Amino acid sequence: MKRQTMYLRMITSSLVRRRSRLLVALLAVAIGATILSGLVTIYYDVPRQLGQEFRSYGANLILVPAGDEPSIDRDTAQRAVDLIPKDEVVGIAPYRYETLKINEQPTVVAGTDLEGVQKASPYWFITGEWPTSSKSVLIGQEVADLIRLTPGSSLTLNGTGAEGQAVSANFTVSGIVQTGGTEEAFVFMALADLEAMMGDSGKLNVVECSISADQDDLDKIVKNISNNVEEVSPRLVKRVTESEGTVLTKLQALVYLVTVVVLLLTMICVATTMMAVVAERRKEIGLKKALGASNKSIVIEFLGEGLFFGALGGLLGSGLGFLFAQVVSMNVFTRAISFQPLLIPVTVVVSIAITGLACLLPVRSATDVDPAIVLRGE
Amino acid sequence: MFWRMISGALFRQKGKMLMIAFTVALGASLATAMLDVMLDVGDKVNQELKTYGANINVMPKGASLLDDLYGVEEGAGVSNQYLKEEELGRIKTIFWAFNIVDFAPYLDANVDVQLHSNAGSVTAASGTSTETSVSSGGSTSSGGSANVASGTAGVELVGTWFSHHLELPTGESLDTGIKNMKSWWDVSGEWPRDDQPTSALVGSILASQKGIDVGDTLTASTQGRQQDFTVVGIFNAGGEEDEQVYVPLLAVQQLTGRAGLVSSVEVSALTTPDNELSRRAAQNPKSLSIKEWETWYCTAYVSAISYQIEEVITDSVAKPIRQVAESEGAILEKTQLLMLLITVLSLVGAALGISNLITASVMERSREIGLLKALGAHNLPISWLVLAEILITAVVGGVAGYFAGIGFAQIIGHSVFGSAIDVKPMVIPLVAVLIFVVTLAGSIPSIRLLLRLRPAEVLHGR
Amino acid sequence: MNLLELKDISKIYGNVKALQDINLEVSQGEWLSIMGPSGSGKSTMMNIIGCMDKPSNGSVILDGADISKESARGLTDIRRDKIGLIFQQFHLISYLTALENVMVAQYYHSMPDEKEALEALDRVGLGERAKHLPSQLSGGEQQRVCIARALINYPMLILADEPTGNLDEANESIVLDIFKQMHADGRTIIVVTHDPEVALQAQRTVVLEHGKVARIINNEQDTGR
Repeated sequence: MKRQTMYLRMITSSLVRRRSRLLVALLAVAIGATILSGLVTIYYDVPRQLGQEFRSYGANLILVPAGDEPSIDRDTAQRAVDLIPKDEVVGIAPYRYETLKINEQPTVVAGTDLEGVQKASPYWFITGEWPTSSKSVLIGQEVADLIRLTPGSSLTLNGTGAEGQAVSANFTVSGIVQTGGTEEAFVFMALADLEAMMGDSGKLNVVECSISADQDDLDKIVKNISNNVEEVSPRLVKRVTESEGTVLTKLQALVYLVTVVVLLLTMICVATTMMAVVAERRKEIGLKKALGASNKSIVIEFLGEGLFFGALGGLLGSGLGFLFAQVVSMNVFTRAISFQPLLIPVTVVVSIAITGLACLLPVRSATDVDPAIVLRGE
Repeated sequence: MFWRMISGALFRQKGKMLMIAFTVALGASLATAMLDVMLDVGDKVNQELKTYGANINVMPKGASLLDDLYGVEEGAGVSNQYLKEEELGRIKTIFWAFNIVDFAPYLDANVDVQLHSNAGSVTAASGTSTETSVSSGGSTSSGGSANVASGTAGVELVGTWFSHHLELPTGESLDTGIKNMKSWWDVSGEWPRDDQPTSALVGSILASQKGIDVGDTLTASTQGRQQDFTVVGIFNAGGEEDEQVYVPLLAVQQLTGRAGLVSSVEVSALTTPDNELSRRAAQNPKSLSIKEWETWYCTAYVSAISYQIEEVITDSVAKPIRQVAESEGAILEKTQLLMLLITVLSLVGAALGISNLITASVMERSREIGLLKALGAHNLPISWLVLAEILITAVVGGVAGYFAGIGFAQIIGHSVFGSAIDVKPMVIPLVAVLIFVVTLAGSIPSIRLLLRLRPAEVLHGR
Repeated sequence: MNLLELKDISKIYGNVKALQDINLEVSQGEWLSIMGPSGSGKSTMMNIIGCMDKPSNGSVILDGADISKESARGLTDIRRDKIGLIFQQFHLISYLTALENVMVAQYYHSMPDEKEALEALDRVGLGERAKHLPSQLSGGEQQRVCIARALINYPMLILADEPTGNLDEANESIVLDIFKQMHADGRTIIVVTHDPEVALQAQRTVVLEHGKVARIINNEQDTGR
C-alpha cells in the first residue's frame, strides 16, 4: 500500500467516523463562507441596484434644442436617444409645450409619452388614473383647484394651431397630478392628441431621460450625443446626478465597511471554532508523536482535513451565500441579483486559507508538547 | 462546592474558557455594531439625502404656483400675496423643529440688467435671450413663458438668504440659506454674503451669454428703481437657475419696494417615509380620527411637517416637493431593509458560530461529565454546573463584546458618515437575549447528548 | 551485549528530584520489570527510556548510541525506529479501525502494509476483529491491538506502561501470554507495573523508591526458573 493511500484513509476515517465533530467544523466553515459570498455579492450588486432606486428622482439627462432653435425634430431626438445604451435606459419622456386656454384661462399643455413619464418621473402622485385612452388628460393640482375639476369631469381646450387656425377639443380628466413643483400648473396629454389638435407633428421642446448610469458614463453619453447629433444639446441635471453620486458613494462605503467588519469578525469566529475542534485532539497528536510521527507529518494530516473542510464548506457557503444575496435582492429591490462566478473559487480559497490557518495554530502548539505529558494520566 | 467546581473550571481551564468568551465577545460585538448601525442608518442616510435639497415648498395661500401658470409677474393683483420674512424663524419652533435642516426664502423680480464689465464695455441684456431657454432643473418649462409675458428685457433677479444668521425666539440661533441647501451648485468665485446687499451670484448660462465675469458690475432696474451689484461668483446648477441672478434678499426687497416680504420659502427637513396614514392625512387631515391625527402629527411625515409649517406662517401653503420627498422615502426604506437583512445574516452567523463553538467545547468534556456521573451526580446538577460555567463565560464575553461593538459602530459611522452612530439602549437587551438564547441553544443539546452516555463507556475512552 | 545502559541518570522537576543517580543495564533479549509505589519515579524512568523525555543528568545509551543529547526531532526518529510503546489506556485512535491503528505505526515508520498488519493482529488473536473500531472492542482486545501496533515495526525494545492495569484477570493472562511469546521470540521487554504478579513474570525486577533503585530482584533465582 502506498503512503498516500494510508494518508487519505486516515483523513477520510477521521472525517467519516467523527461525524458530529465534522458537522460542527463544517458548519463553522460554511457559515463563514456563506457570509463571505453573500456579503460580497451584495457589495458588488448594491451600487447597480441602488442606482436603479435613485432613478425615482427622475430624469438625470435632458435633451434641449441646440442654439436658437425653439424645438427639436422628433427623428433627431430619436437619433440622440439611440446613442444611450439600451440597457441603461429607465425611462424616456419627450415633451412638447403649447399654451392653450381652458375657460379662457391660459394654461400650459404638455404633450408627452405618458408611459415614458411614468417610468422617468415615478414620483408623480396621481389621484385618479393615468390616461389610457386618447382624449383623456392628466391635470395638475393647481389647475384642478382653479377650475374645480375632478377625475371624470370634462374640459375644453382651445387656442391657436400651428397654421394660425383656431383649434378646440374636448377632453376627459382621468387623473390629477401632484408633484409639489411646476407640473401642478400644467395639463398633460398624449403627444398624439396634442399634435392632432395643433395640426402639425414631429416637434419636441425637451426630452427627459432617466438613465441608470454613474457620473462618468453620463458624461460619456453627453459627449457622444453632442458630437453626433448637432441639433441637440444634452444637459445633465446636476441636482440629480451630483447628489446621486454623493449619496451612492456613501451608501457603498457603508456596505463596504459593514462587509469588512462582518467578515473580519466571522472569520475570527470560524477560526476559534476550528481551533476548539483541533485542540480537542491534543491527545491524538501526542499519541501519534509517541508512535514516531514527525511534526511535519502531523501538520500535513491536519492541513489535509482543513483543506477538505475549507473546500466543502466554501462550496456550500458560496451556494448558500448566493441564495441569501438573492433573497435580499428580491426583498429589497425586487430584482434578481447577478451571479458572480469568480466568487466561488475566491470563497473556497479563503475558506481553505482560514481553516488551514485555524488548524495550524493549535496543531503547532500541540506538536510542541511532549508526547509524555499528553499521554500521561487520565 | 458548586461554585468551587465552577471557579475551578473557569480558572483552571483558562485557555478554553477564554476562547469561548472571545468568540461570544466577537458575536456580541458583531450584533451590537450591526444593530446600532442598522437602527441609525435611517437618520444618517436621511441626512445624506439632504444633498438633494428642499423637500417642502412654502407659498402664500392663493398665489401658489399661479405665477408660472399665467406668466403674470408684476402687478395685476394675482401674485401680490407674500409671506412675512419676520415669521420665518417660527419654522424652527414647530413640533418637529429639530428635523428642519435648512430653509431659504425667495423673492424674485424681473429686471433689466446692464453690464459694466471690468474692461469698460457696456452691454445691454436683452430680454429675448431668455425666451429661447428651456427650463431643465425640475422637469418642465416655465421660466420661458414667464419672461415673455413680462414683455421687458427681463432677467430674473432672485433675492434669497445665502448663509443667513438668524436669532430664534427660543434664544437659539442658526445659519441657514441656499449655500447649505444647494450642495450641487458649482460656484466659481465666492458665495455672496448676506450682509453685503450689493453682491450677486450669476447663473452660468446667463453669464456665458452676456460675457459676465467675476468682478463685473451689473445695474438692475425695475419700476423706476435701480441698484448696482458686484458679481462675486458664477454658479453652475445644471438647471433653470443657471439663467438667473441671485442676490441677498434685502436688495430685492428694496428694489421692488416690498420690505419684509418674501414670495416663497424652501424647507429641507428630515422626514419619515410616507405610509397609508400620511397619504390620507395629506389629502385631508380632518378625515383622521383623533388618535390617528395625533399619531400623524407626532410623526415626522413630510405632510405633518408641512401642516405644522402652515400653522406658524400666516396665510401659507406648504407643499411637499414630491420628487425629493417620495424618492427619499423609497431610498431610505431600501437602505434600511438592506441593512436589516445584512444584520439578520450577521446575527444568524454570529449565533450559529457561538452555539457551534459551545457545542464543540461541551462535547470535549464528555470524560468529565462521565466522571461526575460515575461519582453519583444526577443529570440535573451536572447540567446546571456546565450551564453555569458557560453562561458566566458568555456574560463576560458578551459585556466585552458589547463595548467592542460600539467601537466598531463608531468606526463605521465616522468613516462613512463622518459622524458618530447613536448608541441605542435598546440594543443592550437585544444582544443580551441573543447571547443567552444562543448559549443555551449551543449547550443544552450537547449536554443532553452527553448525559445519555453511560459513565463506563466515557471513562474507558470508547 | 547490553541493549540499554543508564548511567547516573537524574531527573529534576523544579525542586523535586524524580530520579537520582540511576544506573541500570538491560541486555539484549532480557525481560525486565520496573516496580515501585506511586511517585517513585516509574513514569519518569519509562519516559526517559521511551525517548519521550530527557534526563537532567547522566546518559542513556541505546543500541550503542548516547541518546541523552539528542534533539526532540532526533528522539522522535529513534522512538519510531527502535521502540514499541504499550500504554495502560491503550491510546488507540478512536476513528480508525483496529487494522488501521496498526497501520498508522507502519505509516509513520515506513510503508503501510495491510497484509503485514493483519498478520500482526492475527498473532494477538484479533484477525477476526480487524475491521472493528476501538469503541467496538473490549479492553483486552484494545490492549492487544496496542501490542500489535507496538510490534509491527520490529522494535529493538518494547516498553509497556502498566499494560494490564485496565484489564480483568482473563484478559490479563491473555496479554501476559503474548508477552511470554514475545520474550520467547527474543525481544527485549521492559514492563513498568505495580502489580507483583506481572512483575514476577520478568527475569529481573528493578524496585524504585524515592527516585532511587532500592533493589534489583533476580526472579529466575528466587523462583528457581
